[in-house]
This record gives sequence, C-alpha cells and structure tokens, in this order.
Amino acid sequence: MATTQSVRTARWVRGNRWFACLAAALTFFFLAVFVAVTTPVVVAAPQAPPAPGQPAAGYVGEATCQGCHDQSYKGTAHGHAFNERTPAANLGCENCHGPGQKHVESGDPALIRNFRTTTPSEVSATCTTCHNRATHALWDGSQHDQRNLSCITCHSVHSAKGEPQLKAQTQVALCSTCHRSVVNRTHRFNHMPVREGALTCSSCHNPHGSTNVRLLRAGTTIDESCTSCHTDKRGPYLWEHAPVSESCVTCHDPHGSNNDRMLVSKLPFLCQRCHVTSRHPPTVYDGFVQQNSQNANKITGRACTVCHQMVHGSNAPSGKALLR
Amino acid sequence: MRNRLLMLAAALLLVPCPGAAQTQQPPPTQTAPPASPFTGLADIGGLFTTADGDEARYERYRDTRDGLYSSFTLNRDTASYLFDANASHVGYRDQRYAVSYLRRKIKFGFNWLSLPLNYSYLTRTPFVTNGNTLTLDDNAQRAVQGPTNAAADGTAVGVPCAPGAPPAACGTPAQAAQAKAARSTYDSLATAFDLRQQRHTAALNLNYAATRAIDVETRFSSSRRDGQQPWGASFAFNTAVELPKPLDDRTDDLSVGASWANPQGMFRVGWDGSWFTNHFDSLVWDNPIRITDFSNGLPPPNGPFDPSGYSNGNGPVQGRESTAPNNMMNVVSATGLYKLPSRTTLNGTVQFTTQTQDEALIPWTINSVINSPTVFAAFPHLAQLPRATAQAEAKGINTLLNLSSRPVRSVNFTVRYRYNDRDVQTPIFDATEYVRFDSVPEEIEEGFTPQFDITRQFFDANASFTPARWGTVRVGYGHEAVERHGRGFSDVGEHIFRVSFDTYSSQYVTVRASFDVGRRRGEGFVETGIDYELGPGGTQPTLRYYDEADRDRTRGSLLFTVMPSDMVDLYVQFSGGRDRYMADTSVPVNRPGELFGLHESDVTSWNVGINFHPTDIVAVGGNYGRDGYSSLQLSRNANPPPDPTWTDPSRDWTLDNDDRINTASAYVDLLRAVRNTDIRFAYDYSDSNNSFVHGGPRVAALTSINQFIPLPDVENTWQRLTADVQYFVTTRAGVGVGYYFEKLDIVDFNTIDTNGPVGFASATGEPRIDWLGGLMTGYGNRPYTGHTVYLRALYRF
Repeated sequence: MATTQSVRTARWVRGNRWFACLAAALTFFFLAVFVAVTTPVVVAAPQAPPAPGQPAAGYVGEATCQGCHDQSYKGTAHGHAFNERTPAANLGCENCHGPGQKHVESGDPALIRNFRTTTPSEVSATCTTCHNRATHALWDGSQHDQRNLSCITCHSVHSAKGEPQLKAQTQVALCSTCHRSVVNRTHRFNHMPVREGALTCSSCHNPHGSTNVRLLRAGTTIDESCTSCHTDKRGPYLWEHAPVSESCVTCHDPHGSNNDRMLVSKLPFLCQRCHVTSRHPPTVYDGFVQQNSQNANKITGRACTVCHQMVHGSNAPSGKALLR
Repeated sequence: MRNRLLMLAAALLLVPCPGAAQTQQPPPTQTAPPASPFTGLADIGGLFTTADGDEARYERYRDTRDGLYSSFTLNRDTASYLFDANASHVGYRDQRYAVSYLRRKIKFGFNWLSLPLNYSYLTRTPFVTNGNTLTLDDNAQRAVQGPTNAAADGTAVGVPCAPGAPPAACGTPAQAAQAKAARSTYDSLATAFDLRQQRHTAALNLNYAATRAIDVETRFSSSRRDGQQPWGASFAFNTAVELPKPLDDRTDDLSVGASWANPQGMFRVGWDGSWFTNHFDSLVWDNPIRITDFSNGLPPPNGPFDPSGYSNGNGPVQGRESTAPNNMMNVVSATGLYKLPSRTTLNGTVQFTTQTQDEALIPWTINSVINSPTVFAAFPHLAQLPRATAQAEAKGINTLLNLSSRPVRSVNFTVRYRYNDRDVQTPIFDATEYVRFDSVPEEIEEGFTPQFDITRQFFDANASFTPARWGTVRVGYGHEAVERHGRGFSDVGEHIFRVSFDTYSSQYVTVRASFDVGRRRGEGFVETGIDYELGPGGTQPTLRYYDEADRDRTRGSLLFTVMPSDMVDLYVQFSGGRDRYMADTSVPVNRPGELFGLHESDVTSWNVGINFHPTDIVAVGGNYGRDGYSSLQLSRNANPPPDPTWTDPSRDWTLDNDDRINTASAYVDLLRAVRNTDIRFAYDYSDSNNSFVHGGPRVAALTSINQFIPLPDVENTWQRLTADVQYFVTTRAGVGVGYYFEKLDIVDFNTIDTNGPVGFASATGEPRIDWLGGLMTGYGNRPYTGHTVYLRALYRF
C-alpha cells in the first residue's frame, strides 16, 4: 500500500500531538526573538504621545492643523474627548498623522504622514497602535492583511458614509466591492435575512482577523460558528450525523441558495451523494416515481427528511438512521 | 490532562512582557460642557401592503401588515457622554430597538431584535396541537384502519396511496391514478393555519475601561424562539407525514472577559457560556392510518408486531421522537498579541471547549404492543434502556498561532499554525436491539452509537514581495492534516499551493488576483468484510464521502477596477473553483476504478459593474453577474449482496446538476439634487435555471420500459424595486413616500399543487396535502407579487 508523504506527516504529528503544539509555540517564539535581534530596525514604531496640554517637540497642536485643513473628525468616535483613549483626548490630528511642525514650517506635504501615500502595512501599523484589542487583536497576519488591505481600504476617519466609519453606506455595499459574487447569493431564493437588514456580513465574519477559519467571528470551527445561533443543532447527540460533526457547509451554503433550506443541492440528490447503499437510498427518483408510486414521498416536499427528520442528530435510543 | 497543561504552557509563551513602562496620562482638564440638545429623527406614518400568491414568502423575514410605520432615532452628543437610541417598526413582528451609552470609562449597549420566519399562509393540517402532542380525529383514524388493515393474521395488507384514500395499494400507474383522483379522508378535515416561527433576541453588553490599558467586558443575550416549523414525522415507507412542529426554546449566552493592551501588545482572558433549553423534550403525534397499535396475537418472531410493519403500515397508533436536547457549552480562552521590532507581530489564541448534554432519554418506543413481556422475551435488551440519560459530551482544544514579519519594506512573511481537536466522550450506547419507526423491533450487529472525533492541524506559510510600489506578489504553502474516527478514512492530508498579486498605490487601477491548487489524499480506509463487499454502514465499497475523499482542487479569482477619475469606477470580478474527486488506488477492492458519490463540482462567477458619482448629491451604479454551479454524482440502484444487482454496472446512474444564475442590480441616489428632496431608487434581479438531469445505463433501462420521466428544471425569477422620496418642507419637517415591490416567479417540481407536481402540471397556487404516499402541510415554493407603500411625516430635531 503506497503512503503519501502528507499522510506520513499526519501520522507522525498525530502520535506526537502535545509535542507538536509545544514545538510550534516554541518555534514561533524563538523565531520572533531571532528576527528581532538580528534584523536592524528600518522604520521606527509609532511613538507614544506626550502628556496632553503639553505639546512635545515637533507637535503643533490641532488648532494649527485646522487653520489650513477643514477635514474634521469631530462627531466621530475619534472625536470624543471624554474618552481618554481617543485622538481628541490626546494629540488630535497629530495622534495619527505624526508631528506636524516640519510640515507647518515648510508646507511640504511629504513631511507629515499622509495615509494615501503610505504603504498598507504602515497604515495598519498606525491604526493598530490603538486598535489592537477585542475584534482587532488578530489583524496582523490575517487574510486581509496578507492581501495588502489596510484599515483605510474599508474605513475613513474624515469622510465616512456609513457606520462604523465605513467608506460605503452599508457593510454589504462595502464588502461587495471585492466579494460581489457572495453578495449576489443573498438575493437567492433561500437566504439568510441579510437583504432584510436583520443580519449583515459582520454578524458572522470578523474582517479584522479571527480565531476561526474563513474569518468567522465566533468559535474556532465552522460548526461552532453556525451553532452559536443555531444552538438546537449543537448537540452533542446520542446519534450523530457525520457530515454535521464535520462542517455545516458540507450540505449548506450559508450565503444563499436556490435549493430549499440553503442546501448545496436539492433533496434527495444531496443525500444520494453519500448514501449509495442498497434499496431505497439510491433509487432513481424521477418524475415517474413522483406521479405513479407511493414512493413519491421521497421526492416531494421534504423528501428524505420527511422520514429522516433528525438529520442533524438524534437523542432517541431508537434514533439509528435518524428516524426518531 | 497532560495535553491541556502543555497547551496552556504553550499559550503562556505568548504572554507579552510589558517592556516599555506605561505612562499614566492625566485626565483631560475638566471644563463645564456646553449645553447639547437632543437630536434625532421621528419618521412616522402608515404602511399599506397588497400581495398576491404566497404572501408569507413575500414577507419571509418581515412583517408588512397594514398599520403604523415608525422609525425613531434619538441622540445626544456632549463633551462628557454620547447617547444613541433608535426604534423601528414598533409593535410589529420585526421590531427593533437599540440603546447605547458611552461615557469616559463605560460603554453600554442594549439591542432587541424580533425576527419572524414566515413559511406559508396557505398551509393546512388535520392535526390538532396540544403542547408537544399532535392528534387526529379518532373517527378518521378508525375509518382508515378499518378497511385497509382489517387482517390481523400477520399478512401484509398494504397501505393506501395516501392516508385514507383508496386504493389500498399504489404500486402501479393505474392505482396511482385512482389515488390521485380520490382525496384522503384527512383532506376534508384539514384546517388552514399560518405556518411561521418567531425569534426574539435581547442583548446587553457592558465594557468598563478600568484604566487606559485594562478593559473588563461582559455580554449577555437571550434568544427565545416560538411558533411552528414544517417537520417530518413518519411511520413507514408509505406513511410519510409532515406536520407543524411546535417550537418553544431559548438560548442564553453569557460572556465575561478582561484584557490588557498597550501599543506593544495585548492579552485577554475570557469565558463564554451558552445554554440551550427546549421546553418540548419530545414530539408525540397520531398515526393517520391506525387507531390501535397493530397486534396479530402471534408470538415472536412473527408477532405480535408485523415484521414488515415499517413498510406496510401495520405499526403503532402514535409515534414519538426526541427533539433538540437541552445542551450547554463552556469556552475558556486566552488571546495574546505582541509587537516585536522590525514590524514583527506574534499573536495567537488558545481555547478549551466543553459541550455537554445529559437529557433524559425517551423509551425505545411508544408502541404498547412492543412494550410487553412477550416481546421483551425475544428482545430482552428492549426491557430497559442501557442508561437513563444521554451523558453526551465533547471536549475541544483549539489553538491558533500567527507570526507576521516585515523585516524590510519590500518583504513580508507570515506563518500560521492552527490546531482543532474535538474529542467525543459520550459513552457508546448499545442499540443492537431497537425499534424502527415505532413499528418493528430489530436486532442489528452494528447498532452502537458512533463517535466522530476530529483532529485538524493546519500549517500555513506565505511570503510577499513588493519589488515596486505598484504591486505585491505573494506565494504560499499550506498543509492540513485531519485525523478522524468513525469515518471512511482515518487520516487525510492536503497540500495547498497559492500565489496572488495585489496592487495598492495606483489611483487609476486596482488589480487583485489569486490562484491556488490543493491536493488531498487519505489513508487508513475502514475495511469491512473479507471480500470488501460492503463499505461502512452497508455502502458500496467504492463509495467515497466527498467531504473526506481524495480530491484535486483549483481555485482562482480576479478583481480588476479602473478609476479614470474620482467620479467613476468600473470593475470586473471573476471567481471560480473546480473540485475533482477520485477513487484512491490504495484500497484493494475487487472493483477498482469505480467511484460512487460526488465526482466533480465546479463554480464560476462573473460580475461587471460601474459606479458613477459626479457630485456629492448624485450617485448611480449598476452590476451584472453571471454564476454557474455544476456537479456530477454516480450511484447504483441495487439490492444488497448476494443479489447480483449489487455488482451490476448496468444498474449505475448519474445525476448532473447545473444551476445558471443571472443577477443584476442598479441604484440611483439623488440627495438634494432636487431642492429639499432626497430620492433613492434601487432595483435587484435574480434569475435561475436549476437542472437535475439523470443519466446512465439504469436510466436508459427504465426509459426503455416507459418507467422514467425526466425532471423539469427548477426555475425562479426574483425582482425587487425600492423607492424612497423625502421632501423637507422646512429644515426640520418633511414628508416621505416609500415603495417596495417584490415579485417571485417559480416552478419547482418539489411543490405539489392541486393539479400535482408543479412543472409536470400547471400551478394553481393552492396546495394539495394528500399526494401519493404522504400527508403534508402543503408547504412549498410558490410565486408571489407584493407591493408595500409607506406614507409618512418626518420631523428632525
């Protein structure tokens, strides 16, 4: 029996699970230390702001900025001075754009941080000086960060159109600028209540980076994410259905589908992808059966799940085959 | 235990050391805040709806009944706090409320969301609901049982084609035609009802910024669900029943966490608890074809039950099934982030999850004939349950570690490791003797509950190069190793290679492209039987479950946007994927080369669009999309071995599913383009043609004897138009008119109207509940057209 390299690796890792986890953690730690020690600093990290009311050297104060620039962040979350963490409570404009004295003295726009001209990683580094907790903690290395998106790809401090500080009126409109095919699925015949406004993209996803796959917000697996709302499917059950334990998207398309219950295919054909046994599961269910036999009940309405209704799992002692 | 200690040690390595001392910032100088009035908007008026066809589907997640239209916002923004409140659709099934309060150290929020799910207002049922029990008219049950199951000597007498509708059997087209012409007894007893459910969710969250660096947060939410949903509740192959299952459950979630953060790092610990409570622990319902539990008076194995009762209807008077059990989940987590020099960041998380469910188990059966000493003598295991409660438990360990570094401007690399482990600890339940469909006790060798443990490990590394400011090239490799217990393969590994390109600096052009290929292979196939005649669970041995089968995957995407000026952008988007599943040559079956199950699955999506906004008051845009989904699967219509059909390739058949969708959207916003007037229009369109085409030698054989009829395509066209015009007579007061139009045309063979399956017969829009072999609610997919008008007055303050 031939064995591929991939499964050899899997077998070794399985047998040495605890060692693998510890080794991975140690590897990352020491690699980070090695990089830090051996690589010279190229760009200085953003400096901690000085005490408010006492502009440090190089800072001119917000009033000076507003002498020429009419962009304001007042009325936004950044402008709430009562919150000691905001730019308004600290250095104002210079909290994000850096010290402005040289820019003011020379008028040279290159002598102050301009987010339109800095690299995406430098933009993100500035924003995550403060926005590095809660839902923003895992931005570095996240899928969007890896694709050279930055905070200002989606957000605007000075000219937001929607909440929270988005460049579009709604999340759906914003996300569709890249994920149009996904947004189109919300118009399918069977869908989650996104187009009705009860849910939005961030109801399930955290675009800033997450603990889960596919930037899902809750849990660490697809099942944990879906069952954070659909808790009746969470189980665990006495009788489990293997694809349910594996991943909800084996059978469902969460963004929308033209099949009932947002399935990836119609019943009974979806079930027949896996249930190739004997007798009724692999019967050819066609128009003849539907119109000429009592077996029409396996193709109309709920099809397989009119009998196998406990398709997500059963807690009944006689629940084998998910019939009870 | 040892694993958990080591995982915790690994997580502790991520704890950031606060190298730089935190500078305690003095609070801002306190001055008297200027007076700030409340501001807001009151939008109130009337809502008027007309709808034809499936009105519930028009509403779906909304409540558009005639009545009061309302939307309120209230704000106050002062120098010391921020207050926001809003309410919409007050008093309706889709009402929403929100309050938020932000002060120096405190952030408080409350949300209430009511969300209806309207299935159908055209449904009918002869069942009467009383708590968790659904009953039928006894006289009808008695009448149906009488003529059709009169024999009590153990011989099968068949069941009617539809409960209570002659003839007694329905195995030929002629009999079926007769059954279709006659109506079930229960059809005349069925009463109309609205089939819907409702979910109400209240959520509170509180965040306290104890210091500049430390946050303590807590969140509590409670979600109640009630109403009904369409649900299967059957007794035999020929007595399929769909009824309105009552719902009454609640989910409570509580989260508590504390975090510390400064510009160099962050660390958070948290606990999340979730409780699901179902007030209906089981469902009991009447059998439409029986008034008594069948008994022929014979001793086992030929009685007193009918050994064929699960197929001929000689079963129980009632059925009982378990419902979703009360369950609980606890998660303890820690998340850390540390910024190192050279723009290097190390972040990660570790979570320990426990899921438990220990509900009392319902008995083997509700059938009184089977619950008897006579039957227990032959099936001693059915005399009592192996245990009284489920004792179901699953524990999880989940870890994610990310290292991201940009040592020089033009180079970036990221490394990620993810570990997920789900360990099912539910004691195996011995059901080698059980009762099928509450009708027939059976003994099966493999009657033990499965344990689907899963351990996933994913390693991913990417390197990005930015040779010039115009773009970044990224190459990456990922490997996923999955270990499963209880599935076809014990080990599966997948290699993934990817490349992507992204521009970012041009103000005229944006290009984002990606391409990745994956190769998944499994080993450790579960073997059953010496000659590999049967796979797991009695399957064909060359069946492969597509979620674990050997697979080659290819995916790509392209986003190309041109912005000739600030006023306009044009874009083209493409995404596509191809999955090919294959037979693994490592398994020595005596029929190599065959692969049952899913063979291939393809997805393509094209979109083109334009957005034009020449000024701040005019915005116009549109999009057209074309999506395609296709799949091919193989099966075999056969009897179990040693029947020769089991290995006969002439019994094979295929199903080719193709879905072609056209999507279009357009919008026009004219905000004060006309004096004092805001005008918004939006139009959305989606048109689908979903085909299910059978093929193969088995289908050819059936066709030759006129026993095959192709299925019609499932076609649907959905359109929506929204318009909103607001005219402000003064700076504060105005009037508004809103219009909402939605139309669905659909043909779906799964839906049974009075003429029969739609697509084969013309649609009437009226459900038939007693089609061949079943007693249903009539829930289906039917067309509708709806108009909703909003007339209101607005006042801004």
